[in-house]
Amino acid sequence: MFFDKREKGRKMVLALILAVGLGSASIPARAYVSTNRDTGTAPERAEYTPAEYEEYELLLETGTVKYYWREDRDVLAVVDKQTGYCIKTGADLPFPGDVKDAVRALEKADASPEEILEAAESYPDDLNSTYVGIANSLITLEYYDSDKIKYISSASEEDAESALSKVEEGKYCLDIQFRKPQVQMKVYLTLGEDSIDYYIPFEEMSGSGLNSLAAVDITPFLGASGGRMNVMNPETMEWETVDSYRVPGYVLVPDGSGSLIRFVDNTSVFNPYEGDVYGKDYATETNYSFAYYDDVPVKDPVMPVFGIAHGNGQMAFAAWANQGAEYMDIVVNPDGTKATTYTWAYPRFELNINYYQLYDEQGSGFFKQMDEIYRYDIDMTYAFLFGDGSDGTPAADYTGMARVYREYLIQQGELTVREPDSQDIPIRLDFIMADSKSGIVGSTQVEVTNTEDVKDILEQVMSRGVTNINSGLLGWQKGGESLSKPYKLTFSGAIGRKGDFKELIEDFAQKGVDISLSRDTVTINRKMVNYYNTAVKCISDWYLSIDKSAILPDNVPTALFSYAAPVKTAEWTKKLADQVSGFSNSLTLTNMPHVLTSNWSRDGVVTSLTESVELYRSTLEQIRQETRLNLENPNSYLWKYTDRYLQAPVGSSQFIFETDAVPFLEMVLHGTMELYGPYANFSFYTQDCILQMIDYNISPSFILSREPSYKLGDTFSANFYSTEYTLYEDLIQTVYSQVNGALGQVQGFEWTNRLVPEDGVVINVYQKDQETRYIVINYTEHEVTYQGITVQPESAAVKKGVTGNG
Amino acid sequence: MRNFNKIRNILFLPMAIFLILQLPMSVSANRATSYTYAADEDKHWERTQDAYLPDKTVTGLGLSSPEDLFIDEDNMLYIADTGNRRVIKYDINSGQVAGILENGELTGPRGVYVTENGDIYVADTGAKAVLIFDKDFNLLNKLTRPDAPIFADTNYEPKRVAVDGGGNVYLIGEGVYNGVIQLAKTGEFLGYFAVNDADLTFSQRLQQLIFTRAQLANLVDINPTVFSNVFVDRNGIVYTATSGTHRNGMKKHSTNGGNMFKTDVWSFADLTDVYVDGDGLIYACSASGYINIYSKNGEEIFEFGSYVTTVDIAGLFTSLPSIAVDVDGNIWAVDGAKGYLQSFRPTEYAQTVYTAMNLYEEGRYEEAMEKWNEVLRLNQMSVLAHNGVGKAYLHAEDYEASLEHFKVANNKEYYSQSFWEVRNTWIQKWMGLVLGLLIGLLVLRGIVKAADKRHGGRLAQAKRKIHARAESIPIWKDILYALKTPRHPMDCYYEIRRYRQGSVAAAAVIYALFFIDFMAYKTVKGFIYQTVKVENMDIGSIVLGFFVLLGLFIICNYLVTSINDGDGTFRQIFMIPAYGLMPVMIALLAVTCVSYVLTYNESFLLTLALLIGVVWSIVTIFIGLQTVHDYTFGETVKSIILTVVFMIIVAVIGIIISIMWNSLYTFLTSVGKEMIQNVF
Repeated sequence: MFFDKREKGRKMVLALILAVGLGSASIPARAYVSTNRDTGTAPERAEYTPAEYEEYELLLETGTVKYYWREDRDVLAVVDKQTGYCIKTGADLPFPGDVKDAVRALEKADASPEEILEAAESYPDDLNSTYVGIANSLITLEYYDSDKIKYISSASEEDAESALSKVEEGKYCLDIQFRKPQVQMKVYLTLGEDSIDYYIPFEEMSGSGLNSLAAVDITPFLGASGGRMNVMNPETMEWETVDSYRVPGYVLVPDGSGSLIRFVDNTSVFNPYEGDVYGKDYATETNYSFAYYDDVPVKDPVMPVFGIAHGNGQMAFAAWANQGAEYMDIVVNPDGTKATTYTWAYPRFELNINYYQLYDEQGSGFFKQMDEIYRYDIDMTYAFLFGDGSDGTPAADYTGMARVYREYLIQQGELTVREPDSQDIPIRLDFIMADSKSGIVGSTQVEVTNTEDVKDILEQVMSRGVTNINSGLLGWQKGGESLSKPYKLTFSGAIGRKGDFKELIEDFAQKGVDISLSRDTVTINRKMVNYYNTAVKCISDWYLSIDKSAILPDNVPTALFSYAAPVKTAEWTKKLADQVSGFSNSLTLTNMPHVLTSNWSRDGVVTSLTESVELYRSTLEQIRQETRLNLENPNSYLWKYTDRYLQAPVGSSQFIFETDAVPFLEMVLHGTMELYGPYANFSFYTQDCILQMIDYNISPSFILSREPSYKLGDTFSANFYSTEYTLYEDLIQTVYSQVNGALGQVQGFEWTNRLVPEDGVVINVYQKDQETRYIVINYTEHEVTYQGITVQPESAAVKKGVTGNG
Repeated sequence: MRNFNKIRNILFLPMAIFLILQLPMSVSANRATSYTYAADEDKHWERTQDAYLPDKTVTGLGLSSPEDLFIDEDNMLYIADTGNRRVIKYDINSGQVAGILENGELTGPRGVYVTENGDIYVADTGAKAVLIFDKDFNLLNKLTRPDAPIFADTNYEPKRVAVDGGGNVYLIGEGVYNGVIQLAKTGEFLGYFAVNDADLTFSQRLQQLIFTRAQLANLVDINPTVFSNVFVDRNGIVYTATSGTHRNGMKKHSTNGGNMFKTDVWSFADLTDVYVDGDGLIYACSASGYINIYSKNGEEIFEFGSYVTTVDIAGLFTSLPSIAVDVDGNIWAVDGAKGYLQSFRPTEYAQTVYTAMNLYEEGRYEEAMEKWNEVLRLNQMSVLAHNGVGKAYLHAEDYEASLEHFKVANNKEYYSQSFWEVRNTWIQKWMGLVLGLLIGLLVLRGIVKAADKRHGGRLAQAKRKIHARAESIPIWKDILYALKTPRHPMDCYYEIRRYRQGSVAAAAVIYALFFIDFMAYKTVKGFIYQTVKVENMDIGSIVLGFFVLLGLFIICNYLVTSINDGDGTFRQIFMIPAYGLMPVMIALLAVTCVSYVLTYNESFLLTLALLIGVVWSIVTIFIGLQTVHDYTFGETVKSIILTVVFMIIVAVIGIIISIMWNSLYTFLTSVGKEMIQNVF
């Protein structure tokens, strides 16, 4: 029944795609060339033959899948009962030595060719025995041997033993004994209807080598593609090297809004992708000091999730951390890295770090690791997906991964679907009010917008018909934000007195415009506060130092920054919110929502990452009881308290091996909070950007000032190249009306699918009750015809009135 | 059946199009992977709006150690795929390989150049020749080592090649320091086209100056910096890239090989390539992954890129041997280590800057201003644009409007020109009235004086009374005495020596006033003469320097004169400079005030005023020292020289003590930390 439904749906989607593809009315003058900032068409179908699982033991059969276990290789196979398609937790490979020994023994014993062929199992050409162990393993450990990291896997040929035992129906325990380093651990596997949960309790890890561990890697080769095998030619009885079947598919990584790394054979050797979930913990990096350089920092994952898809809507999984996310890295080794031809991806949970312990200001010191590893439990869920989603179930692609992760977060209470406040989409209009530059004595305030200006500008925007506005005020404190204390309400007449702010905010609240004060409560400098007992202390017992001189003007009052200790950040945020709550219903927080650090002293950890997460959650939970929260690019642990997601990433960090950018983050969060894109001022207003706002379902945002922004040229806000309102009054209306024209039609709808029928054309599918609506976005320079309606080049069209689930 | 109905529903249900968008398609700046820098108003590189963004990444060509790129008029990209011993022809428009030039003669193709008629010149280090192919990849000619005697033992391993319209071939040879090898079409050696001067260090220059020929011969050879690349644009102008220097590494050559750039051009020391587009814009890249764009006159416009080793991100390179520019203005670059192509698309910002620059060069000032204003809409901080708009206003004789733009761009020279015009207009308009008012005031003064005289001089009496009352306040009288001192230095300092005039308190007040005057001169002069912005000043150092110098002079002079029979006491020495400062104080004040109304044309007036003030003060103080210490002229000079020497000694000792104190502090804290870590 399930199968029938899926097949029907698939045909329908194909028809839809054909209608678009074949309906193209004209031939383009120059081909649209897709880049890795776009989403390409779906991968081809994966070829496969349903296998027999003779060497396996059937652990569990559910309505959807069968779970098989192979004890000698630690491999768990998950088989789709309807199609027979299988994804294994490991590569399921023999050790080359074993095969060669067996064949040699038979050859010596003059065995028949048939007997030799039977024993001559194909073995990997590009993996040594350590890597074969890793490729098969359910768990691989990284450990420090002096300063170097080495690997040992649960499926190791000699250095580990593991045994799976049943705990209860659907629940198993893998007991692993590693010999070098000597570590014992238990991994609990819970097999669900179509999911596997891995739970590794810290309390059940032991052994003399425990504190030498660097990280735990779970199923490194789950869903991997690639490989080069030595296969015995039955005619010549010689070994021949043959490339394994390349599964069409990709890895999804939460880089920016989301990115796909397709399984391709690379001709270049790349470094792996290492997505540090929630960003670097600067307090435990190798050094205590950092400098911004000429390259734009990569976008850090804000959620602990990744996935792999095989084929065109065939089988996929999304994997996320339930516990331990703050210590998690998402690692992808594209084909060619580490001298293998596989593309493999896995979660890495950090347990120890190698850092440089300084003992003087001249930089003398030595490398060392922590005496004791981090203490936390690891819990990962892998949810398997099947089919193309045409039956309404999450598809076996990145859209399905987004849907299943979103469902999980909704179940956990981390996300709540909300009815939109208005049928029009919102727009974010932030104002930069003032900042500081160096002066004859200390610093000088440079004001570019005051409260009266904000009032005038907002009234003008509203008079043009844009009314669903919310607004954040940056640099509202005396002297602006950069040198004023994060928690202090200090006002200046030139920007606005407290009464002026109160009046402004309250007046506009009555008009339905939410104005909030914006503040960064984590970035500090020595001219703002004394570091003693305030700044983050790194594991080396030095204050964290961040040098921004490469990205700030030469003459700013200071280019050296640090982060406040989590306890201070939480305290200041609460203090600020308490003071602001007297006259504003909302608060905007920048940096704090996506900066996560621990804090240390000479005696060890003062605030761990886990404690920081809890601290921030409890702080924002308290604040949100009275105040709406506008958070800049928040990490997933704060989504529960986010009303407006500001500066939502659009696209990825553009790693060379990333092949597509996708709105994974936006699909997860759609309908649960308002999402705003990067400031449109800075060239995010061009035609492709407007189309991308529609495609990614994000609202536009601008940053404005009354005075020309060159006045800020010698301040910390020198990167606001162009903010003067008069330059943007028309553009605000144009961008808003166009994005609202499309997205306003699907307000309150659930975004259920995203199809790419050809390069440069995207069809977003929305559903509400029984109605389905589509938005077709045509990025190309030629017309496309969709269901008889022509969509102009570089434009978008909305179709509504389709009943059923499409 | 149900299935069919669903499809039919989709195909035939009434639908409405709610939206058709049309804005110019451009590239979003949300995608930058490195920051763009441009020169700010103080000629510092500052971050600016993104100029180029990574566009296409081509990884599937299987390149091995590629070294050179060239793009022809048909938008075909030629890649010297050195490691694979071939040249690849890649069609940029379709994104497909259009041909692969493989030939047994190719053993190490490292440079490629394509002429207008499609001939492909390949510099091959391995083959020690330049191989010339036609557009169908047939080998036409092979330029091997020239047999001219002058070429003699010079190494001949061509690694980069360019060809001018007359068929002359320009080569960069491996290990050739003499310059760019120039060959005729036939392969005949024509000479070295351009030669780099040796970049000498200070000590090397000194050696050149004082060493004998024999000593110089014993030194290690000083080789000139090395040419790394050569390019010939379609107008036949030759450009070269030189590595090993930051100054003039990128050159545009005249026909005799000289450098056409009038001012120094900054470039990276690991410059690997130079390329020029149809508009004359010059692009240069460095091995460390930076790309610079210069105007045709060598002015730096943008710089972007970054050096990375541990991540592979579009637009950042492990090694960048070559760039080329396609017909649409996109930059193509190749990663030499990883073997992939990366293109960069200019943003609307960069495109508008280029258009505005071209329009201005063509003399279409109004159109240029329109474009510069567009640039300002995108980046209100753009110095280029403010300069552009300012100049356009200047040409349009709207001087008032140009002032603000020149001010933001810190273009004092043009600001001065505009200001001269504005002031001229003001003078023409108001001079009559001002003169009338002045004459009126003088007449009025005369009338008042005459009237006062008739009525018993009450006003004059009142004036005298006020003066007398002021003089009765001791400190005020002592301060006023400083006005008299420069006019009668000997008499006045004699009075000071006799303790009959002047006081330490008054001297302190004068120093304070001088400090305020000095700081005003440093910080609040008129825009044209305020050479350093307050924001850029190290105020702390200025204040510290002022008081340290003054204090040192007084103390050192006291110490020196004490042992040289000087009569002056410490109090008197403290007073001497103070009472001689009035001329320089007045000069500073006058210069500060007048700087608001003078242009560069009248700068000599300010220089003269300052010079008079300074010399007058120095002479006064000199006389003061001579008088107070009762020295002869010679003794005074000697005491001053000794004072200065002593000041230097004290300063050096101070620096040494501060360095030692730092080391001591570090040592003590290290010991402390060690103790804390190991003992407790």
